[in-house]
Amino acid sequence: MTAIFAVARTYLVTACRERETLFWFLLFPLLLLTLLALIFGNIGESGAVTYDIAIVNFDSVPGAAAAEGVVAALGSLSMAEGENQPLFRLHTPAADSDPGAFLADELEALRIGERAAVIEIPQGLSASILAAAYGGITPALAVRVHKSGGRTNSDMAAAIVEDVVAQVDRALLVKLGLYDETRAVRVDRLDLGADAGTFSYVDFVVPAIVIMGFFVVGLFGVPGTILFGRERKILRVYWVTPLDVPRYFSGFALGHLVICAMQLISVWALGQFAFGAHVALFRPLPLLVLLIASMTFLAFGFLVASLARTANGGMALANIVNMPMMFLGGLFYPLGQLPPVVRAIMMANPLTYLADALRGVTGTAAPSFPLGVSLGVPAAWIVVCAAVASWRLTWDVER
Amino acid sequence: MTVRNCGVMGMESAALMNVLNLVKTYGEVRAVDGVSFSVPRAEVFTLLGPNGAGKTTTLEILEGIRGADSGEIEVFGRKLRRVDRATKERMGVLLQEGNFEPYLKVREVLRLFASFFRSPRSPDEVLRQIALEEKATSLVKTLSGGQKQRLAIGVALINDPELVFLDEPTTGLDPQARRNIWSIVSGLTAAGKTIILTTHYMDEAEALSQTVAIMDHGRVIARGTPRELTSGLGQETIIEFFAGERAAGATDALAGSCRGVRNEGGLVSIETDDLVATLRRLLDWSREAGVPVADMVVRQPNLEDVFLSLTGRRLRE
Repeated sequence: MTAIFAVARTYLVTACRERETLFWFLLFPLLLLTLLALIFGNIGESGAVTYDIAIVNFDSVPGAAAAEGVVAALGSLSMAEGENQPLFRLHTPAADSDPGAFLADELEALRIGERAAVIEIPQGLSASILAAAYGGITPALAVRVHKSGGRTNSDMAAAIVEDVVAQVDRALLVKLGLYDETRAVRVDRLDLGADAGTFSYVDFVVPAIVIMGFFVVGLFGVPGTILFGRERKILRVYWVTPLDVPRYFSGFALGHLVICAMQLISVWALGQFAFGAHVALFRPLPLLVLLIASMTFLAFGFLVASLARTANGGMALANIVNMPMMFLGGLFYPLGQLPPVVRAIMMANPLTYLADALRGVTGTAAPSFPLGVSLGVPAAWIVVCAAVASWRLTWDVER
Repeated sequence: MTVRNCGVMGMESAALMNVLNLVKTYGEVRAVDGVSFSVPRAEVFTLLGPNGAGKTTTLEILEGIRGADSGEIEVFGRKLRRVDRATKERMGVLLQEGNFEPYLKVREVLRLFASFFRSPRSPDEVLRQIALEEKATSLVKTLSGGQKQRLAIGVALINDPELVFLDEPTTGLDPQARRNIWSIVSGLTAAGKTIILTTHYMDEAEALSQTVAIMDHGRVIARGTPRELTSGLGQETIIEFFAGERAAGATDALAGSCRGVRNEGGLVSIETDDLVATLRRLLDWSREAGVPVADMVVRQPNLEDVFLSLTGRRLRE
């Protein structure tokens, strides 16, 4: 055990004393979080007069006057008048798309602050209103306004929508000579959940930054240490001592885990104290996901190290792998907003599952996959990477 | 020439290590071609030879850093196909090509390597032995070449080994740094350590070794004490001087008056059994030809001359 701790300590100490490594391992994630929080953290929160509203009309049958009226009224508010900005920027499903899937995606966008409200007009709303008006009863169905409670812009948008719906309803009933305030159509405001009021883009992005940081440490840290250590003949000095590869690897993995932990704590602390994030990372399930994430990227690093003959080649290979994996992993935007082809590619990327799992278990976004799948796919990657690395990796200079 | 038989297994019971018929091939190159020798306890045993002779490959097999294609190794009384962990606990190794993490401090390096052994010495004790106490908190990357080499020796000694491998310990060092290393090696010998040294410096081999095995093209071509090896050349004396373009004239004029004369790029080397007669003849030629021999050196044969007589080449060629 002493040797394992000593190797781990060596990895940590050298990483912290080397400026470039320190920057990429510890400072870069903090800088990125700061930048993203400053640029995107106040989406819809700046008091802008244009609200991003999504509307999904499930009552689009001919003659559905109430539904048409609501859509038309909101549509009129999305037109610019003179020099004034429109009140709403409306997002509606494409003609050939599935309204249900669109609604799910838009709720995700609302959750991360990209929408101020999502309006759902249920199927049969118009008929329900007319039936209620003629029958002298309260309508059975309601317009559903999904908002993110606690966000001012969301509350304001919901209030405006409520007012619009009321006006449409009144106009419709007055036209029929049946207006009765007690039987006016209801608008139900639906919050995203008990904790949803505190969620923001920063909450969405903190898990992403943590996963990204782990990824960078594994992808660059492992080949950097192993390949440069091999090339500079640092490792071979170990092999003439009783230290063997399993103990060296254990020490290395332990050092890797500690660096990941340092990264996790620093990103969490910055998000929490500087940007008011509320991400529950230090609970058993999130920590399990993070452990699997760090081991996945450790294995990925060994895979890259095993495929490269030189240290520079390893760094180049890591860079080639880095970009597509990083940007096709759903780290910084929801999966649902991507074209189907890109989405299909993302299905092979372990980052996709790890980011999704971490958001899911921290409650910062609804998971797209079951937790078993989200942990199973990275675990499969660990097995594949470990198998290839143990077959290909050479620990000493080849002669 | 007196050349001792290369000891083989069972032939020298006092030996700490016996190597029998070691072979290592890279492609079509036989880097080690049937090497056999025995290493007596508490001695400095030196493998001497030019670059590419197979010294380092032989040593790396004995150190356990690579395997042999065939052959046997017996060390500490155990026969091994490849050096195992228990054996490594009792060995210390200075590699010819080895480095330490540049961002570790000197004491941290020693602590790291101490952690690999069951019964290590105190890093501070080793620091004193290699005279690096003042650099204990310096980063490895700030050390000079000589200091790095002393640290490497310190690492090799951290487990108080019975057998120490020193592969080209002074290559690339300045004279002072070389002397410092020699001093450490002498101290180890005095402490009863067995040392296997490789070098291509004949003065180093002569100064430090009790036994020298000369290697060339992957084979041991001679073995003995430095004195045994040089005395094999007979009671010769060597006279050397630089004659430049007139060297050919010198070799012609002196050929009949000595055992042998060579012209190597203008450097005339004369081997003689009768120093006075040869000197007289040389000075006569110098006066007649008008070639000054002011830089003339008269010396006894050394291991370089042994290698030259065995292979027709110099060690550094």
